[in-house]
This record gives sequence, structure tokens and C-alpha cells, in this order.
Amino acid sequence: MELISLLKGIISLLVILILSPLFVGLVNKLKAIFTGRIGAPLLQPYYDLKRLFRKETINSTNSSFISVVSPVINLVTVVVAAAMLPIGFARPIISFEGDIILFAYMLGLARFFQILAAMDIGSSFEGMGAAREATFAVFAEPIFFFTIGSIAFINGLTSIYDIYHSIRLDNVSYLVFIIVCSISVFFLAITECSRMPVDDPNTHLELTMIHEVMILDNSGIDLFLYQYSSYLKLFIYAILETSFFYPFGVRSYTVGVVIFVVVITILSIALSISETITSRFKMKNIPQYLLFATAIGILNLLIYTFTK
Amino acid sequence: MQNVLSILFCLSLFYLSVTSRVKAYVTILRFQGLLLTVLLVFPFIHHFSIFALILPATLFIVKVIVIPRYINKIILDLDIKRVIEPTIQPFTFLLLVIFSMVVVFVASNILSKSADIETIPFASGFTAIVVGIFVIIFRKKLIIHVAGFLVLENGIFLFGTAVASELPMMIELGTLLDIFVVVFLMGIAINKISSTLAGFDVTVLGRLKD
Repeated sequence: MELISLLKGIISLLVILILSPLFVGLVNKLKAIFTGRIGAPLLQPYYDLKRLFRKETINSTNSSFISVVSPVINLVTVVVAAAMLPIGFARPIISFEGDIILFAYMLGLARFFQILAAMDIGSSFEGMGAAREATFAVFAEPIFFFTIGSIAFINGLTSIYDIYHSIRLDNVSYLVFIIVCSISVFFLAITECSRMPVDDPNTHLELTMIHEVMILDNSGIDLFLYQYSSYLKLFIYAILETSFFYPFGVRSYTVGVVIFVVVITILSIALSISETITSRFKMKNIPQYLLFATAIGILNLLIYTFTK
Repeated sequence: MQNVLSILFCLSLFYLSVTSRVKAYVTILRFQGLLLTVLLVFPFIHHFSIFALILPATLFIVKVIVIPRYINKIILDLDIKRVIEPTIQPFTFLLLVIFSMVVVFVASNILSKSADIETIPFASGFTAIVVGIFVIIFRKKLIIHVAGFLVLENGIFLFGTAVASELPMMIELGTLLDIFVVVFLMGIAINKISSTLAGFDVTVLGRLKD
């Protein structure tokens, strides 16, 4: 029994590792269709990764060892974070009391090293991108803790797997609570993965970039690691969002997987629609957008603390 | 169900504090009116009577149809620009709203221990009153002041439903007439001001002398 559970955990992690570029490809393809283009093939992210993998790595002469270790640390921390997420009803490989904090700070560590590496190279553009990333991270962190934390607070659980399993969809006001929660997690995903209203993943003007500008001077394997971890990150947040919608009363593995696939597809459609209909915010408007999502989290916490 | 509607009400307040479009204010007023209507209809689903529908129906007509249309008409007639011209940053405004919301929720939770009130609708209503006042304080446009007043009024209405489950109908109808008249008067006032002075800012009014 123990072995089967471990095996399911490993399968979940493999699914995350293998399918994450596909999710990005799906979002990009749908976005292209919605804007009336044919778009790149569904598997384009895989081709990109393959191309980067074969290329030579060149590091700036000004850079120190941080630029060398940062991409690896970035990927490893994101993979560890991915190993804490439940897919279907399987218990993830890493799951213990309080792993919600570790999850948040693993992603925090990834970001920290990316910012360091960006400043290490010594280009002023990258420094600017790093400053922006750090600023917006300050506003994005509370969103996670207020939304996921509020569910944790209500049930008194601190493991991601347990938190999601304590969700009951039969109570009407709880259902609304979960939907409101998932809205703020959606905001969080958009910010953390530098998607459209906050940052444009396709932009090529240094002055307007946030995430992309930090990896301007990387190439080859380094860029491959950064790209892959950013794909993983988007998929991680997508799973975080999907997990709200499992009917955890029914404990069947197949049902879990079917729901996973359906919700992920719906989410990719939602993401591409929102990216099609919104334009980028001005830089100065982003903090208020993030504060809005935090406000939703605080409201959740207030309501469920004071409901009799 | 009352709690769910209150959550939606609070979300609309958040949106109100970050948006910078006059049109969005009108949409929010419509939405809040609709929420209040549903809130009033909901208790009567089990024991239906035609008499009980008078107040919700009036509310619907006044708050969802007549007043937003009237405001839209003023916006069109006076050719008001679509940006709201706040005096403070939306970020600061939203911080203020969150802070006051936390204070109100905690306070009403303390209150609910000694009095028979529904905490969530009570607190949401109270927050709407505070936000309405903030909107009036921190916005320059007169038409937005009217909207702020209406948000405040919606808050009082929600507040009222939380305190007593059965509303004295005549009183509620009275207040509805009240706001209708006030909005009407404000509309006329804005019209008159615009024909005398070029702008619709309160800053212009500050320069008036005898």
C-alpha cells in the first residue's frame, strides 16, 4: 500500500515534469486562435527546449559563480515545489505538516537566485528587471498566504495535501469561498508566471519587460534551465488552481485524473481568453492589481473567521 | 445565502476602489442594486405573497433601472470625461478600504456577541457606508460624489437587512423615494453648475465667492 502510494506520487511528479511545456504550448496556441492567427505548433515549447539544450553556453566575463549555479538552483527548487502538489488523489512525494511554508519559500528561493543572477551579470537592463521582479514579489507573496492560508486557518491544517482534502463542495457558502479563492490564485499565477496583464512573455522591448529581461544574457543550457523552470512554474500554479475543484468526497483515482485534465484545459482557455482581451498594465498600476487580489484573500479570511 | 451575497457586495466595493472609469461606477451601482433585490426576494421564496414583492420590485426599478440610466444620461448630456480624477492613488485608497474593512469586521464581531445581528451582512453594509464616504472625500468629480452617496445608501440598506429580518416596508419605501429625490436634485444641480462654470470639479466650487 505504501509502495503504491509512493509510486503514484512519482507518477504525479513525472506528469508535472513532462506535461508542463505542453500546457504553455496549449495556452499559446489558443491565444493565437483567439487573435485570428494559426500560431506555433502545440509542441513548440518542446522544440524550443531541444534547440536550447543543444546550444553552447556563453557567460558574461563580468559574471561570478552565481550565474553558473543560479539556473540549476532555480530548476531544482521549482521541481521540489512541484513534488509537493497533489494530482488526482495521490499523496505527493513530499508531504508533511507545514509543507505549505516550504512550498512558498522554495518558489521564493528560486526567485531570489534568479534576481541575484540577473544583477550578477552587470547589465543595467537586467538590474532593472531584477528590481521590478523583487518589487512585485513583495506584493505577490501575501496573496498566496492569505488565500491558501485562510483555508489552512479554517481547518487548522498545514499540509497542502491535507488542506485540499479538507475542501468540501457541498456547502453553498463554502463553494463561493472556494471560487473567490481560486480567483485570487489566478491573479497570483498571472503575476508569478509573468503572464499578460502584468508582464508580456512575448515582448522584445527591454524597458517594458520584467521576467524576460532578467534572462537576456543567458544562453544554451542556462537558458534551457530558466525556460523549463518558468514552464514548470506556470503548471504548478495551474495545479494549485485545479486542486480547488476536486470533489474530494469521491475518492477514485480515475475520477481525479479526468477532473484534472478537464480543469487544466478549462484553465488554459481562461488564461488565453484573459490574455487576449486584456492589455498590459502600466508599471505603476501593477501593485494595485496585486493588492486587489490580496484584498480578496483578506476578505476570505475575515468572512470565514467571523461566520457563526 | 445572505453571506454569499454579502461577499459579492464586498468584492464590488474592492472593484470600486481600484477602477478609474466613470462607466464602471454606474455598472457597480447596477450590480449592487441587483444584489440587494435578490437579498430582499430571497426570504420570501418559502412563503410567497404578492405584497412582499412590492419593495423588491420598487428597489429593482429605482436602483437598477432608473438611477443608473439617469446618471448615464447626465454623463452623456454634459459630456463628462471618462476618468474619475481621484485625489489620492488607487493603491492608497484600496489600502484604506482594506484597513477600514478589517476594523469594521472585528468591531461588528464584538458587537454581535451582545446584540442579535448577522455579522457578515452587517459588516459588509457598514464597510459600504465607509467606502461611500471615502469616495466622496477622495474624488473630484461631482457625478462620482453622487455615486459615492448611492454606495453609502446601499450600505445602509444592507445594514438594515442585517439588523432586522422583517423590514418595516413603508420606511424602506420612504428611503427609496428619498434617494430618488436627492439624486434628481444633484443631477439638476450639476446641470446648473455646468452651465455657469466650465468644469464639474469640486475644486472649481472652492473658488466661488459671494
